[in-house]
Amino acid sequence: MRPGLVALRLALVLLCARAVAATVDATVLTSAGRPVEDAAVVVEPVAGVAPKGQRTVTIEQRDREFIPYVSIVETGTMVEFPNRDAFKHHIYSFSSPKIFEIKLYAGKPVLPVLFDKPGEVALGCNIHDWMEAYVLVVNTPYFARTDATGHAVLRNVPAGSYRLRVWHPRQVGEWTLRDIEIRPGAAPTKLALVADIHARVVKLKPPVDSDKY
Amino acid sequence: MILRTLQRRIVVVFVGLLLLVMGLIVGLVSGSNQRMVASETARELAVGTRIFQRLVEQNQRQLETAATVLSGDFAFREAIATQDRPTVHSVIRNHGLRIGAQVMMVISTDGQVIADTQQQLTVPRSFQFEDLLTNAQASGKSSGFRQMKDGYLYQLVLVPILAPKLIAWVGMGFQVDDQWANGLSEVIGLTVSVVRRQGAEVSVLASSLDAAKQTVLAGALQDAPGGDSWELAIGADHFQTVQLPLGQDVSVVLQRSLEQAQAPYQRLQNVLLVVILGGVLLFAGGSVMLARRIVRPLDELSVSARRIESGDYSQPMPAMPRDEIGQLALSFDHMRERVASREEKILRLAYEDTLTGLANRTRFLEALGQRLNHGSGAVAILNIDRFASINNALGNGVGDQLLIEIGTLLGQITPAPTLLARLWGDEFAFLLCGAGKEEALAFTRSVLAILNRPVTLDGQRLDIGGSLGVALYPQDANDVTELLRGADQAMALAKRRHTGFAFASGSGGQPVHEQLSLVGEMREALARQEFVLHYQPKLDMVTGKIVGAEALLRWQHPVRGLVSPIHFIPFAEQTGFIREITPWVLERVIAQAAQWRRDGLELVVSANLSALDMLSPNLVTQVRDWLELHQLAPASLCLEITESALMDEPELALSHLTELFQLGVKLSIDDYGVGQASLGYVKTLPVHELKIDQSFVTAVAGSPKNAAIVRSTILLSHELGLTVTAEGAETPADLSWLAQNGCDVAQGYGIARPMPAEALPGWIAMTEKCL
Repeated sequence: MRPGLVALRLALVLLCARAVAATVDATVLTSAGRPVEDAAVVVEPVAGVAPKGQRTVTIEQRDREFIPYVSIVETGTMVEFPNRDAFKHHIYSFSSPKIFEIKLYAGKPVLPVLFDKPGEVALGCNIHDWMEAYVLVVNTPYFARTDATGHAVLRNVPAGSYRLRVWHPRQVGEWTLRDIEIRPGAAPTKLALVADIHARVVKLKPPVDSDKY
Repeated sequence: MILRTLQRRIVVVFVGLLLLVMGLIVGLVSGSNQRMVASETARELAVGTRIFQRLVEQNQRQLETAATVLSGDFAFREAIATQDRPTVHSVIRNHGLRIGAQVMMVISTDGQVIADTQQQLTVPRSFQFEDLLTNAQASGKSSGFRQMKDGYLYQLVLVPILAPKLIAWVGMGFQVDDQWANGLSEVIGLTVSVVRRQGAEVSVLASSLDAAKQTVLAGALQDAPGGDSWELAIGADHFQTVQLPLGQDVSVVLQRSLEQAQAPYQRLQNVLLVVILGGVLLFAGGSVMLARRIVRPLDELSVSARRIESGDYSQPMPAMPRDEIGQLALSFDHMRERVASREEKILRLAYEDTLTGLANRTRFLEALGQRLNHGSGAVAILNIDRFASINNALGNGVGDQLLIEIGTLLGQITPAPTLLARLWGDEFAFLLCGAGKEEALAFTRSVLAILNRPVTLDGQRLDIGGSLGVALYPQDANDVTELLRGADQAMALAKRRHTGFAFASGSGGQPVHEQLSLVGEMREALARQEFVLHYQPKLDMVTGKIVGAEALLRWQHPVRGLVSPIHFIPFAEQTGFIREITPWVLERVIAQAAQWRRDGLELVVSANLSALDMLSPNLVTQVRDWLELHQLAPASLCLEITESALMDEPELALSHLTELFQLGVKLSIDDYGVGQASLGYVKTLPVHELKIDQSFVTAVAGSPKNAAIVRSTILLSHELGLTVTAEGAETPADLSWLAQNGCDVAQGYGIARPMPAEALPGWIAMTEKCL
């Protein structure tokens, strides 16, 4: 389709969508029935470019951990990395969607980082080997992260055809994309998803002792 | 036989025992050593193995840690993450140098080798050690010993590159070579060899052994039994071997040198052997010395014993140390002295007369025997006169004292004889070596001089005298027995004739051997009827008739002819053979007398009786029996007995005489005047007649003294109621004198010589015609 036409259609859909926003209620469990936390449930419209939602996401460093562990951002989002700890963190990423490194000192504000390419970005701290965070950069604003129960709710999803994608940083193998239809209506579209993940490799985190570290 | 001498026995036993004990010790030590070596080797192997494993583990951990640190390096991670091949290559090379890893590899998460310091990668290939990768994926890291394509052995370490999650693996290879093996070997004390088995082939990749040994080891391991541990020989050395797996087909062979393990024990054993050898030698030497020390005194003792055995008591024992053998030697010495003194005592007793202390008969004979063939000399035998009567009268005690006193006196004679001895009873003997007749004579006189002095004993004065018989050698005889016999006979002669002494040459005795044979011959003669009786008629001086005959024994010797009784009767009397002759004579005489009676001859036949016959218990019985047997009136038999014959045992003789008297037999005292009977004794005898000895009768007519004796004897006899017969009337003058002086009967050569029985009747007939 021609871009102009596409844009028009999208606007129409959006108009319609605003008027007919649906909720997707997804639950992700492992094949053993355990809830999968921190899974990204993303729906990408099949056709058309999803409207951009400008947001600023924060991934803070607190207690020598990245919080949150998994973040899902739309392409073009600025991500802030406030250092809430008393010492320096040296964040880095070698993932091709965003290769960067920031040395962050306590209390010193730093410019946020723009994530402008879709993909999976793994973040680490050079000083604290166990610090891990993942940013899934997607081209759609319609995504949610499962909680401890494996439950994620996508709101205000306009009806239409979407490509569903479930992603976890520790996923076992490639999870297939699947097309779904979202119908307008008050009733949320329930999705029961099964996905297996690797166990989290717990790296040694020494206790906080101001003398020792 | 090696154990013959005590000395050798001691040494052999001692040394043998020591060797046995030492052998046992050596055996025990050796066995114990072997066990200890074995257990120590096992322990060392076990310990060495554990240490090896721990060291390798630590080594591994170190490498892993180093690798982990390396893999955490930000710049390294950054370089790897860029996937820029040259960058990756250079960074791994650089960091490889930093860490000392000879090989560095980057392996993707799906097992593809992205970069390798060993070779340029044009085409990615998969990591050759899949198992390492699998292990790393499972455990987070892995390591192992691997032989890589270049043929070398590496200790490989695979660690993840986390940024923050696994982006790739980095593999680091640290070369394992002989140096590594040596280093470990020095620590654990075992030889370390890393080997790889590919099928049937075994190759040694790294070892602390030298190249030659490695080859041998490779070959030996091909047929290795495996299992816990086994002994493996490499050349001349032996190793207790253990094989541990290090990886897939790589294993490490740890070996303990047995020679090394045994070395200290071997040294100990050698020292022990040397000590034992030295000890044995020392001991042998010591025991030889000891044995000699023990045996030498024993040898000396046995030499001394042999000396004593051969009769030499003079040498004392050699000086001995004061131990048990010394004690023995001392006792031995005492024994020697005692034996010597006892022998001396025995000799003394053997040669000494206990009563007088003089030499005894044995000694005298021995001395004489020794001297006989060396030069000349004289032997004198002394008989003490009247000793028997003194003994009888005063008792044996006094007799003994007397002998002692005589011995002392004799001992005082000078010049002293070579030897003075008491032969027996009251006989003494003197040996005068080198003395001739003159000296012997002088000596004899000295002896008699001493003896003629009275001896006082217990207040008793005793008159004694002596008779000496002297024999000279070699003149009279050159033989001990002969010489003594000669001296003895001379002594007897001296005694009989009261001359005091006599020389042997004067007596003429028969040779001894002749005499000895005579006894046997007499016995035979009796059996062979060689004895004959001749009869000498007795003439009655008053009637001029032949009234009787004396039976005289003659011997018809086949060789010597007619032997006169003087040559055998005394001998027969001495030997007691007379007791066999006399009965024969008596019987013949009685028979003959009976015969004559029957023939009309009325003769009183006389037979002689000796002293022994008088004492014979059978005498009277026999006479009685024969008289009865031959029917002869007892009065027809006359028995003539000399005075001396009654002297031996006067009482017994007297009783027999009395019995004969009572029997009715006529009894005469023969040889009256030359015997020893006293008149007092004669008067008690139940006899009918006295026969005056011929020594008085022969030539009585011309000898006033003899005539006086005969005359008085005739008177005496008549006064006592006895008849008188004179013996030895040889001349008619004698006969007429006898007739004139009242002699009843005469007998002698002047009347007739003795004649055989057959001749007598004829002669009587003829004579009576003449008278």
